[in-house]
Amino acid sequence: MAEKNEAQTQQKPEELRIGVFICHCGLNIAGVIDIKELVEYAKTLPDVVYVKDNRYTCADPGQEEIRKAIKEHRLNRVVVAACSPRMHEVTFRRTVSEAGLNPYLFEMANIREFSSWCHPSTPKEATEKAKDLIRMAVAKARLLMPLQTIEVPVTNKALVIGGGIAGMNAALDLAEMGFKVYLLEKSESIGGHMAQLDKTFPTLDCSICIEGPKMVDVGRHPNIEIISYADLLSVSGFIGNFKVRIRKNPRYVIAENCTGCGECKDVCPIEYPNEWDMGLGTRKAISVPFDQAVPLVYTINRDYCIECYKCVDACGARQAINFDQKPEEIELEVGAIIVATGYDIYLPYDNPLYGYGRYTNVITSLEFERLILAAGPTGGKVVRASDGQKPHSVAFIQCVGSRDTNKYPYCSNFCCMYTLKHVVQLKEKYKEDIEVYVFYMDMRTNFKGFEEFYQRARELGVNFIRGRVSRIFEDPKTKNLIIHAEDANLGMPIEVEAEMVVLATAAIPKKGSEEIARILNLTRGADGFFMESHPKLKPLDSPTDGIFLAGACQGPKDIPYSVSQGCGAAARAATVLSKKTWKIEPIIAVVDPSKCRNVTTKCGICAERCPYGAIKIEEKKPAQVVTAMCHGCGTCAAECPADAIQQMHFTDAQILAQLRTALEKDPEDKILAFLCNWCSYAGADLAGTSRFEYPPTIRPIRVMCSGRVDRDFVLEAFRLGAGMVLVAACHLPYDCHYISGNWKMKARMDALAPMLHKLGLSPERFRVEYISAAEGVKFAELIREMTEQLRALGKERIKAENEKLRPILENMLKRKEKR
Amino acid sequence: MPLKTLKKEDAETLTLEWVLHVKNYRLTLDRKLCVGCEICSLACPKEAIKLVKQPKTADGKAQRAKVDITLEKCNFCGICDILCPYGAIKVTINGEHVLNVVQKESFPLLVRDIQVDAAKCPVDCVECEKACPLSLIKVSWETPDGKVLEDVSSVSDELRKGLKVNVDVYKERCPCCRICEFKCPEGVLRVRKAFYGVIRIHPEKCPDGCRDCLDVCPITGALYLSETDKKVHVNEVFCVYCGACKVVCPVNEALELKRTKIMHTPVRSGAWNKALERLASPLEITKELKAKGSLKALDSVERRFVRRAT
Repeated sequence: MAEKNEAQTQQKPEELRIGVFICHCGLNIAGVIDIKELVEYAKTLPDVVYVKDNRYTCADPGQEEIRKAIKEHRLNRVVVAACSPRMHEVTFRRTVSEAGLNPYLFEMANIREFSSWCHPSTPKEATEKAKDLIRMAVAKARLLMPLQTIEVPVTNKALVIGGGIAGMNAALDLAEMGFKVYLLEKSESIGGHMAQLDKTFPTLDCSICIEGPKMVDVGRHPNIEIISYADLLSVSGFIGNFKVRIRKNPRYVIAENCTGCGECKDVCPIEYPNEWDMGLGTRKAISVPFDQAVPLVYTINRDYCIECYKCVDACGARQAINFDQKPEEIELEVGAIIVATGYDIYLPYDNPLYGYGRYTNVITSLEFERLILAAGPTGGKVVRASDGQKPHSVAFIQCVGSRDTNKYPYCSNFCCMYTLKHVVQLKEKYKEDIEVYVFYMDMRTNFKGFEEFYQRARELGVNFIRGRVSRIFEDPKTKNLIIHAEDANLGMPIEVEAEMVVLATAAIPKKGSEEIARILNLTRGADGFFMESHPKLKPLDSPTDGIFLAGACQGPKDIPYSVSQGCGAAARAATVLSKKTWKIEPIIAVVDPSKCRNVTTKCGICAERCPYGAIKIEEKKPAQVVTAMCHGCGTCAAECPADAIQQMHFTDAQILAQLRTALEKDPEDKILAFLCNWCSYAGADLAGTSRFEYPPTIRPIRVMCSGRVDRDFVLEAFRLGAGMVLVAACHLPYDCHYISGNWKMKARMDALAPMLHKLGLSPERFRVEYISAAEGVKFAELIREMTEQLRALGKERIKAENEKLRPILENMLKRKEKR
Repeated sequence: MPLKTLKKEDAETLTLEWVLHVKNYRLTLDRKLCVGCEICSLACPKEAIKLVKQPKTADGKAQRAKVDITLEKCNFCGICDILCPYGAIKVTINGEHVLNVVQKESFPLLVRDIQVDAAKCPVDCVECEKACPLSLIKVSWETPDGKVLEDVSSVSDELRKGLKVNVDVYKERCPCCRICEFKCPEGVLRVRKAFYGVIRIHPEKCPDGCRDCLDVCPITGALYLSETDKKVHVNEVFCVYCGACKVVCPVNEALELKRTKIMHTPVRSGAWNKALERLASPLEITKELKAKGSLKALDSVERRFVRRAT
C-alpha cells in the first residue's frame, strides 16, 4: 500500500483544470459576501477554468451542476466555497467521485462559518477574507493528488482478554454471531469477581446461580476456546491482522485428561490460603479455586506442593497429572481484540485510620462477601475472626479510598449498592439480633430499583449516619471497635461501638494494567483505568483501531453495565470481523526512503514520536509506516528532521502553498492560524454557527492534528512577514484525538518560542492555544484579543521586526533544504 | 479478617503463623531443645529452613548453629516436626497438633523404638535417669495403693518390696542415642536407633586444639577428646547422626557424616523419597525402594541421580 501512495506522489500531474463552485447558502453567505465579486475573482486564479455560483451547492441541483461541469469542462480539481468541510466534505467527495474524479481531488473553502457568519458587520472585509480562503483552497487544490482508500484483509477471529462477566458476554455474543473467539484468562477459572459474590443487588439473586450457567455456556460453546491460566506476552499487527503471543502456564495437570472428579484433592495433605476467598479460608495444593470453576481443571500450586505424588496415585489410570509440564507459548491470529481485564479491590493496609490488617475484626466488603456466602469458608456464618462469634453490631464504612483526594479521587460506582445489599442481608438474616450502622458521604442509588432498595434498607431499621469516620480504635479486651465519626446531620462528633467493621474499599485498576497497556498500546487515564477513544461517542473503542474495551477495566462498573459493555464491545468488534477487508482513509504518512536519515545514521525520531507505534525502525533501513496502524495525525511528518515523511492530503507542499497564498498581500495585518480538525477547527466553526463576531484578521489552515504543525511552517510564515501565528490544539492532557499529538506539538513549540523571542520577535506574535470544539466563545475572544494586540504593536513595528528576522529565517530554512 | 502471616522471634522460640479468618496454622521452634543439627534444613521440601552459624563465645567455645525459617516459603506441612530428632519443632492447626501429611499417608512417622521392661528394675536404681544426656527419663515408684512417689531414699525396707518402678521416657524428644541402654545394669531398656549412618573424624585434618564438634554435640559420649592425641574422636555407638557437629566443623572433610537408614513407619510417598534422598543419599533411597518394589519411583530417582552426577 505504501508503495502505491509513493507512486501517486511521483505521478506527474496532467494539465490542471480547476472548477470553483461558490455557494450562496441562501442568504447565509450571499447576505454578507458579494458573490459576484468572488466569482469574478475566482476566474482570475491560476488554473481555474470554470467558476459557478449556486444557491445551494449541497442540494441535489447544486451537486448535479458539479457533476455536469466535471464532465463538460474536463475538470480535474474541484473547489467548493461554502460551509465547513466538517459539514459537507464527505458529501462533495462523493459527488466528485460519482463524476469519475478521485474524491481526494476535492478541496473546500469555508466561507460561511469562517467568514459570512462571523464577520456580518464588515461585509467588505468578509469578502476579502473569502477571496483569500478561496485562493488558499485553489492553491492547495493545485497540489492535490489522487489517493486510493487502503484495504487490509481481516482475520475473522477475536481475542477477548479477561473472562469476567464483561469478557464472557463479549465472547458469547461474538461466538453466537459465528466468529471464533479465544477467551484469555489469567487465573485458573473464568468468572471474575462476580463468581466471588454472594448475592447481587438490588434483586438479591444468587450471583453464582446466574453466572454459573453462563460460565458453562462459555465453556461448552463450539466457537469459544478458553485459554485459562495464561498470560498475554505480546501483540503485533493492526486492525484485522493481529498476531498475539500467549504463554500457557503449567497447571501440572493435563486439561484433556482431568475429569474434575476431585479425588486428588481429597488425598492432598497440603493446604494454603485461598486467594479466591481473599485469604479467609484455605484450598488444597491441588485444587480448583471454587467448585463451579470453568474449565473444571485442577491445578497444582508448586509453591506449596511437597510432591508426595498421592494425587498421582489417586488419579490412577486417568493419568492427568504431569509434574514435568512446562510453560507453553502459543501464537494466535485475530482480527479484533476486546480488553475486559476488570478491576482489583483496594486493601487499605496503608491507611492507619481504619486499622485494616491491625484490628482483627476490621474486614473489607469483599471479605464480608466471602463470609456471608453459603459456600464460603465459614459456610455462610458471619463470624468475628477474634472469637468465632457472631457479631451483634456491625458498622459499614463507605468510600474507603474512593472519593479521597489523597488516594483515589473517583467514585467507585458500586460500593453504595453492595453495602445496602450487605445490610439488608444482615438485617433479614439476624433481624433484631443485630444492629447495623452505615457511615456514608452520599448514598448514590441512581439506577433501576436502587432507590427502592435503599428504602428497604431504611425500613429494616439500619442506622444511616452521614459523616466521615475520623478514627477507629480497638478495645484490647473485647476486640470490639470504637468508631469516632462526625454526624453531619447532627453537626457533632459521635462515637459508636461495633463488634465488626466492614470497609467499602475502592475499586482500583487491575494489577498488571500497565503491562497490558504497554502491550496493546492503550492509554490510561489519571486514575489508571484504560481510556476510551472518545468518552461520549466511542466509549467502547480504544485509541488503537480494532481493540475495544469492555467492563471495569475502563472504570468501575456494576454487573448490568459490564454485561451491556461486553455485548456492546462484541457488536463493535463484529463491525470489523464481519468484513472481508477493512478500509482505511489514505491520509496516512508515507516515508521517502531516499531522504530518510535512518539509512545512514541512527535516527528513529518518527517512531519515537508516533502516538500509535505505527512506525517501525530497523537499523540502516528507512523507517517503515505500518499503514493500517497509522491514524493520519501527521506528527511524524512534522518531527522528521529530514522532511522525509509526508502526510497524504496534508503534505508540506500543500500546506506551504496555502500558507504562502494566505500571506501574499499585507501579511502584517494577518493572523495565520493552524487549527486542528477535531477541536480548534470545530471550535472556530462553532464561533461561526453561534454568530460570535470577531475581526476578519485570521487566515486558518486546517490540519488533522496540531501535531502536524511543522516548526518550518511557523518560520516560513514569519519569513513571509505574517503579523501573528497561532497554533491551536485540543486541550491537554487527554483531549487529543491522536492520543498525544498536542503534547508533541507543545514540546516542539515550547522549544521554538524562546528562540523566536531571542531573535527579536514580540512574544505575543506567536501563540499556542488550546480550544475545544465547544469553545466558540473562547475562539472569538482569542481572535479579538490577538487582533487588538496586533493593532497595538502596529504595522511599523511588525515590519521592523520582520526585516530583522527575515535573513535569519531564510538562512535557517535554506540550511535545511541543503541538508 | 485479612490473611495475616506472622513471624515472631524471641530468645527461646521462633513462631511462624498463618492467621486466617477461620483457621490458624502455627509452627513453633523451641530453641532450648534445638541443637542446630541439619535434619530439618535437609528435610524441608520447600527449602525454607536455613542454618545460621553463630560466632564463638568469649571463652572460645563453638556455639550451635541457629535455625531460621523463611515465612514466605514455609507451607506448614510439618515434615520438620516429624523428623526433628529432638522434638524441637511443633506444627499446630487451630492449636491442635495435627499432621495432615501423616493422616493422608504422604509422610511416615519417625520410629523411636524404645522399650522398657520396668518390672525388672531394682528399686534403688536410677542409672538411666542419670545417664540420659537430655534428661528425658524419669524414674518413679508406685505403691500398691496407687500412690506415686518421686523419691524412695527414705522409704522403709518393708514398703520397698511392694513398690512398682515406672520408667517414663519423653519419647517425642528422644534422638535414640542408646546411652541409657548401655548404662542400665539390668538390661531393662532396649533402644533402637532412629537414624543409622557412618561418622568419621580424620584427626590429621583437624586443626590443632579444635573441638568445635565436641562443643556442640548434644549427646555426652558420642564424641570425646582423646588423651593421647588431644583430638576429638567418635564413639559411634552413641552417635545419633543428627549432624550438629558437621554444621560447625571448620575444615572440609575433617568430619564425614552419612546417614544410611532412617527408621520410619511404612509409606509410599514421593515426599518421603525426596526427604530421604536429601537426608541420606540417592543410593540409600534406591535400596529402600528396591526393598519396597517401587520400580517406577526407583526409576525416577535413578534418572535424577545420573543427572546430578553428570
